[in-house]
Parts: sequence; C-alpha cells; structure tokens
Amino acid sequence: MSLITDLFANALDEGYAEAAARQRAAGGPEPSRNRRRMSPALMAGLLGLGLLLATAALQVRADAGIVSAERESLVERIGLATGHADALEQTVADLERDILEIETRQLDNAAVNSELRESMATMRSAAGTGAVQGPGVVVEVDDAENGTDGGSSGAVTNVLDIDLQQVVNGLWAAGAEAVSINDQRVTAMTAIRSANDVILVNFRPLEPPYEVRAVGDSRTLGSRFLEGPGGQWLLDASSTAGIQFDIRNVDSLTLPAARAVLRLAQSEENT
Amino acid sequence: MIPALGLLLGIVAGLYFDVEVPLGLQPYLPIAVVAALDAVFGGLRAVMDGVFSDKVFVVSFVANVLIAAFIVFLGDQLGVGAQLSTAVIVVLGIRIFTNVATIRRHLFRA
Repeated sequence: MSLITDLFANALDEGYAEAAARQRAAGGPEPSRNRRRMSPALMAGLLGLGLLLATAALQVRADAGIVSAERESLVERIGLATGHADALEQTVADLERDILEIETRQLDNAAVNSELRESMATMRSAAGTGAVQGPGVVVEVDDAENGTDGGSSGAVTNVLDIDLQQVVNGLWAAGAEAVSINDQRVTAMTAIRSANDVILVNFRPLEPPYEVRAVGDSRTLGSRFLEGPGGQWLLDASSTAGIQFDIRNVDSLTLPAARAVLRLAQSEENT
Repeated sequence: MIPALGLLLGIVAGLYFDVEVPLGLQPYLPIAVVAALDAVFGGLRAVMDGVFSDKVFVVSFVANVLIAAFIVFLGDQLGVGAQLSTAVIVVLGIRIFTNVATIRRHLFRA
C-alpha cells in the first residue's frame, strides 16, 4: 500500500523541485519568473505528444481496417469454396444417377438379371447409398426454449452430439431399417460428432431443430423407441436440460441416399 | 496558449504525415502515449507550481516514454507483456490523475 500512497503523494517528478532548489541556491531568478521561459520545451513536448497521439489513433484505425478487410476476403473465399464444392457435389450426384440408369438398363436387357437387380437395390438401401421410402417415425429434437438459461442448474441446454447418437442408436435398437438426420443419411460410415458447438453428421454441419427420420414398422417403432434407451435418454435430457422433442408416426417417409465412396477398401470376394 | 498550439500542430502533423509504424513497435505506441501524457501533465503542474524547468521536462518526457516502452518490451520477452502493460498504465494513470487534480485546483481554486 505504501507504494500507492507514495505515488499519490509525489505525483510530480521530484526533478522539478530539485531543479528549483538548485536554482534558488545558485541565486538564480525566482522560480515563478520561469513561467515565461517554459514555452519552447513545453511546446516541443506537446508537439511530441500530439504526434504520438495522432500516430497511435491512425494505427488503430488502420489495423481495424486491415482486420475487417481480411475478414471480408476470408468470408468471400469461404463462399466461393462452398459454391464450388456444391457444384462438384451436384456433378457427382448427376453422374451417380447416370450410372444407376445405365446399370438398370443393362440389367433390364435380360430377364435373368431381374433377381440380381433386386438384390442390388436391396443392398443399396441397406448400405444407405440408395434413397428409400416407407413408413416410419420422425423424432424432432430441439434446443431448450430459454437458450442460455442453464446457469442455475449448470445443465447444457443445447442438443449435443451424444443426444443424437443416443436417438439414432435407440432407433436402430427399436427396429429402424434406415435413419437420416436433417436429410443426412446415416450409414455405416457416418459419424455424429460436434465441433465448436455445431453437430456434424457426414461431416456436414447441421442446425437445430434436428429431424431424425427412421423407416420401420410405424406401429411399433415409435413406442419401442420411447421405451428403449433412446427414448429414456431423451426423457432425461428433457427433464434435466429442457431439451424439446417430439415423436410422430408417418405413413410415408423418404430418406435421401448417402454417398459412400470406398477408395481403398475392396470387397474380399473380388480380390 | 502556445503549448496548446504545439499539441494541435503535433496532431495535425501526425495526421498529415500518416507515419507507418513498424510492426514490432506497434505494441509500445499506446504505452508511449500514456507515458508522454504523464510527462506533459507533470510539466503543466510544474508550471502551475512555479517550479518548471526545461531540462527536467525534456529529460522526463524522453525517459518516461523510453522506460515505459522498455518495461513492456521486457515483459513481452518474459511472456508477461500484458500484465506489465497494465502495471505501467496503472502507475502512470494514477500520476496523471493526481497531477491533473492539482492543475485543476490551481486553475479553479476548487
């Protein structure tokens, strides 16, 4: 504390008092007459201060400009890259449809191949690389209504990746035959994980509300899910963190196809 | 009045010349400004107290700026640059406030 007290008591540079005392001792003019002589040095000092002030202010302005410009160019580049990726994806989807068409036409040529064709379609649906359609349930999961008000209980009020993982697992356990989350088909290669509070499915960022669709026997799937581990998990999350969810049966659901590209893995039968 | 003109001239010159500060010196600029402010208010108070001295003012101005920048530089090298910047700002800030309070008492007798 004495340091701060000292700071308050002797705010003025001690040099001034010493210089004044020296001058008085040397029989110089009374200190009060120095007033007129102050101008050159003080003016130089203030000039320096003004220079520093202006330079510092300009620097901060320039930095802000650079930062925002960098940000904008980054945003622009992200937009361009996303557009490019979308275009490429569209091309891939088109080509895949062409392949499917050609395959079907080839198989159509011979009646013997109809069995092969059907087994291929089944395998595609099971693997998730073919779109499927059928009855099932839709589980809608959303963040708690009063977003950030989890402070008192400390509970996280957002839907987490583990919630979706439990829902999907619960649906499989309840007899689902195909599952998708917000139009991302869940396949054998699908990971449900979060990065920076965003849930990624098939490496695609998703936004709440999350609509988990599952094709299965709509008479039993919903109830079995609710009684199983997935439903229990959701009930727990709903009571502790306020996660909202809704389960409804749907007569006809369409699940999109996922793209699964195997570059290195080969079927063992082919080798 | 003339010193105020100096301040104005300095600001105008700074704006006009638009000096490019080297990247390495940028963190020390705000500290240098605060140190210069301290020296200037100290000088103004000395004028009011009637003990002003050219030599002391110029030396304190230059030394203040250099030492403040050096302390922050040292802190940066040791990894505590932000904390030392805070320390410098606190100390100089207290001095500026105290000196301005004295100047205020001289000017308004209040």
